[in-house]
Amino acid sequence: MLQKVLLPAILIALGYGFWASENFKDISAGVAIFLFGMLVLERGFRAFTGGVLEKILKISTDRLHKSITFGFVSTALMQSSSLVSVITISFLGAGLIELVQGIGIIYGANIGTTTGAWLMAGFGLKVKISSYAMPMLVFGVILIFQKSKNLKGIGYVLTGLGFLFLGIHYMKEGFEAFKNTIDLSSFSVPGFKGLLIYTCVGIAATVIMQSSHATIILVITALSVGQITYENAIALTIGANIGTTITAIIGSLSSNVDGKRLAGAHLIFNVTTAVVAIIFISQIMVIVQDISSILGIEKSNYTLRLAVFDSFFKIMGVVMIAPFTSKLVWFLENYIKPRVVKKDKFNVNIETTKYLNDSVLELPETAFAAIIKESKHLYDNAYDIMVHGLNIKKTNIISTMEIDEVLKDTYSQKMIDIDKAYLQNVKAIYGDIIDFSTRAQFEMPEQYIKLLYIVKMANRNMVEAIKDTKHLQKNLRKYATSSNDAIREEYYNIRKNLALLLRDINIIATSKEEDVILLMLSRVKIRAKEYDVVANGILDNLIRENLITNEMAASLMNDSVYVGHISKNLISMAEGIFVLGHDKMQNLGEELLADENDVDAIIRKKRRDDGH
Amino acid sequence: MKMMWMQLFAKKGETMGIKKFINNVVDFLDLDKFSVEGKKKSIKKLLVKLEKREERLKKIISKEHDKKAKKRLKEELAIAQHQIKKAKKHLVKLSK
Repeated sequence: MLQKVLLPAILIALGYGFWASENFKDISAGVAIFLFGMLVLERGFRAFTGGVLEKILKISTDRLHKSITFGFVSTALMQSSSLVSVITISFLGAGLIELVQGIGIIYGANIGTTTGAWLMAGFGLKVKISSYAMPMLVFGVILIFQKSKNLKGIGYVLTGLGFLFLGIHYMKEGFEAFKNTIDLSSFSVPGFKGLLIYTCVGIAATVIMQSSHATIILVITALSVGQITYENAIALTIGANIGTTITAIIGSLSSNVDGKRLAGAHLIFNVTTAVVAIIFISQIMVIVQDISSILGIEKSNYTLRLAVFDSFFKIMGVVMIAPFTSKLVWFLENYIKPRVVKKDKFNVNIETTKYLNDSVLELPETAFAAIIKESKHLYDNAYDIMVHGLNIKKTNIISTMEIDEVLKDTYSQKMIDIDKAYLQNVKAIYGDIIDFSTRAQFEMPEQYIKLLYIVKMANRNMVEAIKDTKHLQKNLRKYATSSNDAIREEYYNIRKNLALLLRDINIIATSKEEDVILLMLSRVKIRAKEYDVVANGILDNLIRENLITNEMAASLMNDSVYVGHISKNLISMAEGIFVLGHDKMQNLGEELLADENDVDAIIRKKRRDDGH
Repeated sequence: MKMMWMQLFAKKGETMGIKKFINNVVDFLDLDKFSVEGKKKSIKKLLVKLEKREERLKKIISKEHDKKAKKRLKEELAIAQHQIKKAKKHLVKLSK
């Protein structure tokens, strides 16, 4: 609705401006070229976001001060807080970083944007910037046409910078020429009233241009030629800081809960800083004047003094809000909650995905990480169903309780409706993982597509294991109370074996140590191979000695197949999800996982040791 | 110095494409070896952990009297020893 009214209004206003003033055309063209330059620059840096930036982000944001430093350095280097925000939201969405780290990056990015004001005030206005723009554009465009991804990236960065410089040049020219015809400074409003009015103008300008960076550059350019007063320029800068959060909020509407929380943090942080700055403006002006004097900035150099204000104002915000970051996180997590439950046509709650959203599609690494995380979410739900299907309590199985005790302490007297549980807690998530993986792989390099296939198979294994548990459940219940000792014991052993398997799988899922994962994977493979009532002769023995009926033998034979399938599926699932989703295991590579020959060799050794 | 540039650039009479130039740089700086070296480092770390575990298990087994527990520990030892053998073999393969 807003866009339907706002866009035509802006176009009409611009059209009138172009007709009324030639210089306004120059300024507007300058802003347009500048914004286009930012887009191109962002595209250029995206070419390098295939690993390096992500790796730095992962390892350098474990503490708040590190997150702030990362946000500052990356924004200062790329001159784009929006690209940093996009990557941050993407990492948050994939669960690779926590909200507190994301907020830290936003603090840092906010300070990082002030470097743009310093570059413009200290360098951009003093030199003939357009003389740098032209060669950059020429070299940039040549490199864009190259096949290499990196050269293309450099080409886009150079072209982006070229357009930024060209835009600044046009803005400067426009304002200088404007001075001869209209004196915009005559519209200046002094005092607190002016502060509020120009803050609102700053907000509006930033919302329209979708960039606080562009607003501040425009303000510095206008200030350098005396078209606006220093006081009003300060108000515009404060306004730009609020306006940029509105852009972030609009952007977060289509993102997941993490994007919304981050936009919320951005809004609270920037608005609080702006309100404090407005209230204490006279004191801040004095401090800025003192800092400027210490830095040797002349009193008449308003553009550099504005850069000092911009930096002080943003650093002040971080110093003020950073100590309350944990409270801010608490507030956001309590008031912006995810929607993980939807209803089906029978009004039954259906659990939905937690990590899959369009924001993680920005980068192959985050998309893959989100799919792994979601698969782990699916595993948690599938694990619950299987444990309950075996009539075991989850708290017991994941504890160190003796396995016989675990089996005694049953979960429920009644059979578990596995179909219903599957529908409520697995089906929708499984479907979404498959759908999302298919969409994600369009943008992914080949090595990820291969890994994605393994993860998809692992998810399928999980679903198959649930289905086999469902088939098994009936006889497990039936023979658990049978008067025939032999069959009761065999079904007890089936439960025990599966319980041990689920316990080991849980260790694999939760362990951080690669040696533990490797050993556990080998152990479950050995146990799966050893426990086969047909192969190990138990079934033959029971039949030969007439210990069980034919019906019981048939059931045991069929159910042993289900047990084999469950074991095989769970082991493949663990190798697909927990090995791929584990950094250290990924480094080791799949060559170290025990294969069929290894399992046979270990079993032979075990038998030798046992004296068989 | 001259040799270095000679190595970086194409042989006499060959035209130098950008891709080829990058490949030459990768070869010259041995960048391919980085991933192999990383893998070797990870395996060495794993071996240290596995060997510590092996020693610990041997000690516990020698003191353990419960037959059932001893059997379970022996199984764990057999797995650990097999993984050590496998890791060492893989390390040799990577070093070649």
